[in-house]
Amino acid sequence: MSARDSILSAIRTGLGGSRNDPAAIAAEAADLLAAPETIRPPLVAATLVDAFCEKSEALGATVDRIGSIDEVPASVGRYLEGQGLSAEIAVESAALFRDLDWGDLRPRLAVAPDAPAAVGLARHGIAESGSLVIHSGKETRILLAFLPLHHIVVLRAASIVSHLEDYAALLVGHETSPRNAVLITGPSGTTDIEGSYVRGAHGPGFVHVILVFDA
Amino acid sequence: MNATTRTGFKARSDAALANPTLKTAIDRTTGTAERKRAAALAGFAEYEAARSRGSAIKDHVIANLDHYLEMFERNATASGAKVHWAATESEACDIVIRLCREAGAKRVTRSKSMLGEEIGLPDALGSAGIERVETDLAEHIIQLAGEHPSHIIWPAMHRTREQVAELFNADHKPPPADDEAASMVQSARHVLRGKFLSADVGISGANFLIADTGATCTVTNEGNAELTTTPPRVHIVTAGIEKLVPSTSHAMALLRLLVRSATGGELTQYTTFHCGPKRPGDADGPEKMHIVLVDNGRSEMIANEFRDMLRCIRCGACMNHCVVYRQIGGHAYGGTYPGPMGAVLTPVLDGLAQSRDLPFACTMNGRCAEVCPVEIPLPTLLRAWRGRSWRAGLEGPRMRAGLAAWAGLARRPGLYRMASGIGVRALRLLGRSGWIGSLPFAGGWTRHRDLPGPTGGTFMERYTARGARRPEDRR
Amino acid sequence: MTRATRPRVGLFVTCLVDAMRPEIGFAAIRLLEDAGCDVEVPTRQTCCGQPAYNSGDDASTAAVARQVIAAFEPFDHLIVPSGSCAGTIRHGYPALLASDADWGPRAARLAEKTHEIMSYLVDIRDYTPGGLRLEGSATYHDSCAGLRELGIHDQPRRLLAAVDGLEMRPLDGENVCCGFGGMFCVKYPAISDAIVGEKADTVERSGADMLLAGDLGCLMNMAGKLNRRGSKVRCFHTIEILAGGGNGPAIGEKP
Repeated sequence: MSARDSILSAIRTGLGGSRNDPAAIAAEAADLLAAPETIRPPLVAATLVDAFCEKSEALGATVDRIGSIDEVPASVGRYLEGQGLSAEIAVESAALFRDLDWGDLRPRLAVAPDAPAAVGLARHGIAESGSLVIHSGKETRILLAFLPLHHIVVLRAASIVSHLEDYAALLVGHETSPRNAVLITGPSGTTDIEGSYVRGAHGPGFVHVILVFDA
Repeated sequence: MNATTRTGFKARSDAALANPTLKTAIDRTTGTAERKRAAALAGFAEYEAARSRGSAIKDHVIANLDHYLEMFERNATASGAKVHWAATESEACDIVIRLCREAGAKRVTRSKSMLGEEIGLPDALGSAGIERVETDLAEHIIQLAGEHPSHIIWPAMHRTREQVAELFNADHKPPPADDEAASMVQSARHVLRGKFLSADVGISGANFLIADTGATCTVTNEGNAELTTTPPRVHIVTAGIEKLVPSTSHAMALLRLLVRSATGGELTQYTTFHCGPKRPGDADGPEKMHIVLVDNGRSEMIANEFRDMLRCIRCGACMNHCVVYRQIGGHAYGGTYPGPMGAVLTPVLDGLAQSRDLPFACTMNGRCAEVCPVEIPLPTLLRAWRGRSWRAGLEGPRMRAGLAAWAGLARRPGLYRMASGIGVRALRLLGRSGWIGSLPFAGGWTRHRDLPGPTGGTFMERYTARGARRPEDRR
Repeated sequence: MTRATRPRVGLFVTCLVDAMRPEIGFAAIRLLEDAGCDVEVPTRQTCCGQPAYNSGDDASTAAVARQVIAAFEPFDHLIVPSGSCAGTIRHGYPALLASDADWGPRAARLAEKTHEIMSYLVDIRDYTPGGLRLEGSATYHDSCAGLRELGIHDQPRRLLAAVDGLEMRPLDGENVCCGFGGMFCVKYPAISDAIVGEKADTVERSGADMLLAGDLGCLMNMAGKLNRRGSKVRCFHTIEILAGGGNGPAIGEKP
């Protein structure tokens, strides 16, 4: 008997008796998600955007609010200047970014380990936790979110969802799931030495959100 | 997997108690963890409801585990991953080693996984001559020290900052600037960067296996999981079969409990769902993804008194709040998993005869169950091991004889009265000053504390001497 | 109060109180009577069975449990001056005898009417002691079984608030185990000692003159450690204070 068969048969023996049919199991699983407001915290502010920003900032991220995608280069420039970083930046190969006028900035597609800064695009924000969601894909390199020291993330205000389940509902079936879906909740950190928090472990020590209100 | 027999539990715990540096290290980490968890729960009014829902989700999965395993296998396969099944720890290691060899792996990076520790994967990779690079900071520390984890969330919590600095000074080139945690984190980051990008295979565990997408979920604060699983050609996941959840939404409900209970955060900095290998056209990612589903004693727990333990989401809150763990640390337990959850699991994994002390080295104070985010009745499970130990005759003859004598008396009230009267009189002779400082046969008590002597005859003697009370005496 | 409304309660003395500190048993009788109960002490009682229960000897525990059930089922309530023994009777017996068609239901019925004394006085009898005065300060340790198996937390504090002149001081880690654990403290004396050592530290830091708790086992452990260290903190079972015994000898003091 293969390991697979022996494990499944041991489980079935252990469970014993008559088994539920798949539809009944699915119904029970759905019931376990009922009344989600009773098992999750309410948002910390009245609007999705305010709640998202409050949570992000509490985690140590910074947020800049702009009116349109065209303002992204200027916003990036302000951040780099404020942080004393060079104008050389890694930029995600999103079509959205290719058409922008980057002015004095020198965008590159390659991101080197410990590159000072990289600019990426988030699919969603999650207001409950202040998380940014990135999906791997043709234009999105997962490593762009992990190799630089400063991760600058462009997020459309309209793509902020309320709670974790609201995002999770978008991932059903492997067809809708990217290879990697990463929820980034604040800058990288560790508490592995004596439990005390140190910002900036393997991932970026700084996360800066450019929130675009282009409705 | 860890040899519990190297030395006995008592010798290990005595050594731990005699180590003040260890105590300092334990207090620093568990103290912080306890405070942060309390603060996180104070801000989560829905916690109790979330907690019962979380345990109901896990119970539902276990009650339909075969269904969810097959669903997961179907979806993971459809996403392009290959699913493997391992009944035992050695089967699991053999599969991983074979996959590494097939990939021509010289160097593998590993993102912390307690299942990996449970099956002995670090040693198996070493024996196979494959270079293993631990990428979690704590695992990096214990790899340098040649140790095993002493905590499931903070594997290196037994080491103080100063002791970590010693290791890094010896190994890191250049060494860290000083022994502040921040400098040492920077130093480890620097040393590990190059290794992330040059690994052939990346191995991770999984906090959840999502049945309806076929994805595996990892949570880290450092970002090492993604750096482990993205650059290499092959990503291998090893996960226990109890890690399943029906959907991503169910995982989210459990994540809220897991992170608050573990570190006091709301979410870890990185929560990643890994669904298959690199897709056509993807900018990065591994070419192959393998998922090894490991049983190693779990399917047996479904039918016995330890089934509730399969709910465990490995948050570590039970050990952070355990008075015994906080005195002796994790290594004294001798198994992969320490603390209360480890005292339940280690006898499953290593056999009761090898780990019989663990269920007894507990005061049954119940705090572990109180802080468990999935309502595992840990003291009840530990008591079940005590029952098994008794029935298997693992108790020593002195203990059995003593208890048999006690039980004989306890079941004969008249005889019990007589014996307790004699015992109390004997103790009163020893404790004329009120306190007894040394008592034969009770050295365990009087070595460390005084025994308050009996205040007079037994209650029953004095009560009977007052005479049976008549109804008119009543107020 | 008419006879009909006075509950008939059976006092389960506990083996430790019987042997080591009968004053706690007499304090229990005084308080229960003051709270309007008719108190009896069945002579067919010895111990609740915890030494066997905590050692995994379920057969011996069940034998002792049946004896306790038979002795106490005629009463309206079984009252115990110990959260630990009350917890065993309330939760342990029904679990242990669950598959026994006769004893299972009897265990469940006894469990329903079994109460730790402080929670009984407050929750069932709505009792407040009167005319108590004791100068000094005290701190309270929540014994684990009472706190977690029976939910005893507010009741002792409410009762102690009725004592004039007694200042209650907070105890850091009041809900943390003292390291007694029954057989644990003799099986693993070094670990137990380390735990009770930290407890003694927090008790001394509270600055209180007295340490109060609801379980004699825990109290003997903490008092024994405090005395070994030369501490002047005096230890009492809470109901001794409530029965007016606060000026008498504390645990370990010569009568």
